[in-house]
Amino acid sequence: MSPPSAMEQNPGKAQDQKIYLHPLPVRIWHWVNAAGFLLLILTGFQLRYVDLFSLMSFETAVHLHNWIGFFVIANWFLWFFYYLTSDKITNYHPDLNAASFFERFFRQAQFYGQGIFMGQKRPHDVHPSNKFNPMQKLTYQFMMFITVPITFISGLMMWDVERFSALIELVGGIRVVNTVHVLMFIMFVMFMFVHAYMGMLGPKPSSHYKEMITGYEEPHDED
Amino acid sequence: MKTGLTLGSLLLAIALLGMAPAASLADHHEEVTNPDLKCLKCHSRNLKKTLEDGEKMSLKIEVADFEKSVHRVIGCTGCHRDIVKGEKHPSREPIASRRAYSLKHNQTCSQCHEDHDADFEKSIHASLVRDGNDEAPLCSDCHTSHKIQPRTDFEPVNGEPCSKCHVDINEAYAQSVHGGARSEGNQIRGKFIKAPYCSDCHEAHEVLAVSSADYLVETCMSCHEVAKLAHEQWLPNAAMHMKSVGCAVCHAPEAELRVNLQLFDRIKQAPVRRSEENITLQNKLAEIDPNGNGLDPVELWKMMLNTDEGGQPSDIKLRGRLEVANGVDAHRLADHSEAIRSCESCHQANAEAFQNVTVSINRPDGRKESYKADSKVLSSPISVDSIGGFYAPGGTRIRWLDALLVLAIVGGLAVPVGHFALGKYLRRKNGNKSK
Repeated sequence: MSPPSAMEQNPGKAQDQKIYLHPLPVRIWHWVNAAGFLLLILTGFQLRYVDLFSLMSFETAVHLHNWIGFFVIANWFLWFFYYLTSDKITNYHPDLNAASFFERFFRQAQFYGQGIFMGQKRPHDVHPSNKFNPMQKLTYQFMMFITVPITFISGLMMWDVERFSALIELVGGIRVVNTVHVLMFIMFVMFMFVHAYMGMLGPKPSSHYKEMITGYEEPHDED
Repeated sequence: MKTGLTLGSLLLAIALLGMAPAASLADHHEEVTNPDLKCLKCHSRNLKKTLEDGEKMSLKIEVADFEKSVHRVIGCTGCHRDIVKGEKHPSREPIASRRAYSLKHNQTCSQCHEDHDADFEKSIHASLVRDGNDEAPLCSDCHTSHKIQPRTDFEPVNGEPCSKCHVDINEAYAQSVHGGARSEGNQIRGKFIKAPYCSDCHEAHEVLAVSSADYLVETCMSCHEVAKLAHEQWLPNAAMHMKSVGCAVCHAPEAELRVNLQLFDRIKQAPVRRSEENITLQNKLAEIDPNGNGLDPVELWKMMLNTDEGGQPSDIKLRGRLEVANGVDAHRLADHSEAIRSCESCHQANAEAFQNVTVSINRPDGRKESYKADSKVLSSPISVDSIGGFYAPGGTRIRWLDALLVLAIVGGLAVPVGHFALGKYLRRKNGNKSK
């Protein structure tokens, strides 16, 4: 029995051996989302800290925050329906074998903590249908299915308090809603720093950034 | 014969003399009816009665005033029903005080003016009367006793009768956009607009306590019909603002403000009122801050714990509302061009609007019973549940979340810096081992 060809082993690999990891809709979604989140964080800072800095008026910040918020919500649905209707949804499938998942999770953490500096081989082989390493997978599942929707829903409630008053009452009042929204905001602020830095941990500091522009995986040193 | 003539002439003279004042009254005051002339015969003089409290009460009626009174048609006995023809005049009956006499006649008014009396009974004025407040107005305090004008003439030029008690409020009103328009022929920006007077907003007889302030927003809207639409054009969350911020907060820019946290029953959808069924809560209020130095966040949280009353289902929360701190300021309404439009005046830390905080429970008559609270209750994480319904982004932000944000930024920066440093260390260590 002959071994499977490179194409059979990895159907995403093109002839130049580059894997097409990020389809166009995902890349558009990613950068629109990134810009949206940065603007939401910026206007969010302005809304919360008028007394500390005044990049724009509170009123302008509210209107911008609302409009960008709606845009980012629409963008999330673009992402959601793309994955829902494509075979790439496997990237977000939960790993049912928890023991195996966490074993790989810690191996990945160990790589980031030590192996990456020692030139060790990356423990996760990327594939268009399994492009996230276990740490990324858990983070993005949590972000995209829990944190982001909670932020949207709490944001919507605050966009029109009267319209959503029954729901707001149900969860304990507008102060509860705002506290949850701000906790998510704090999480996103931290995420932005860490995400931007982790993006530099590819084969070269620019590799992952280029991948998110071209869609193709950049060559690894070991390749 | 001579004697008889003399006696007859004398009797006639006495009779004519007796009739003289009445004839004189009738000559000058044609509108006054004959039965009333009999009363006025005495009561147009400087009669005085010593009351039991020692005061000498004048019994004199100014005939000219009575002649113009709308009650002229019902005559004296229309109100003074204790004066019956053929029976003894009650002049010798003791009267405890002027107030006691007015109170007695308040009942007299209600015999004809049932509707007004029913409205009055619902008012804060009647409530004060029931509380035994001698300053609380009775019918005659506003309408006078014998100079009762027709409703059409009841144009309160000098702020009367309300200004008799509410002097400061009347002064504030006179200088307001409403008062100014009224004195300038109801002209606002060159247009005729019937500017409101006291009773237009507060009703004439059913004068409610201002703590039932919800109705006041509706009152403003009844004239300013387009205000809702106008606010929706620019004000984010306009409906919510109109619900939790009193109109005067922005439209009386000089006003002192406060946040009132009103105990509100979410099941009954009504403010909690002092009553037997709420006794536990009332006792808690009194016990928690016996020194009166203001409820801090922990005290407020304790107060809101176990607010169930007597086994009755209740869901009591504090409903926050930003309002003007006193009635005088509430009347200093300015032209809309002077209204506060800057969101920053409230939506920033230490905004003046959030420095004065009270917790209130309503008395049965709607008046507030307020307890001072520390302004920290608005920005404490402990209050997330107890005052869950009131929040102003920026203005009442929770300070602990600020600390958490700083921690997140520091942590977010520490990850790359720490990871980079770790890499340097491990590479150096690895390099040394290789050597």
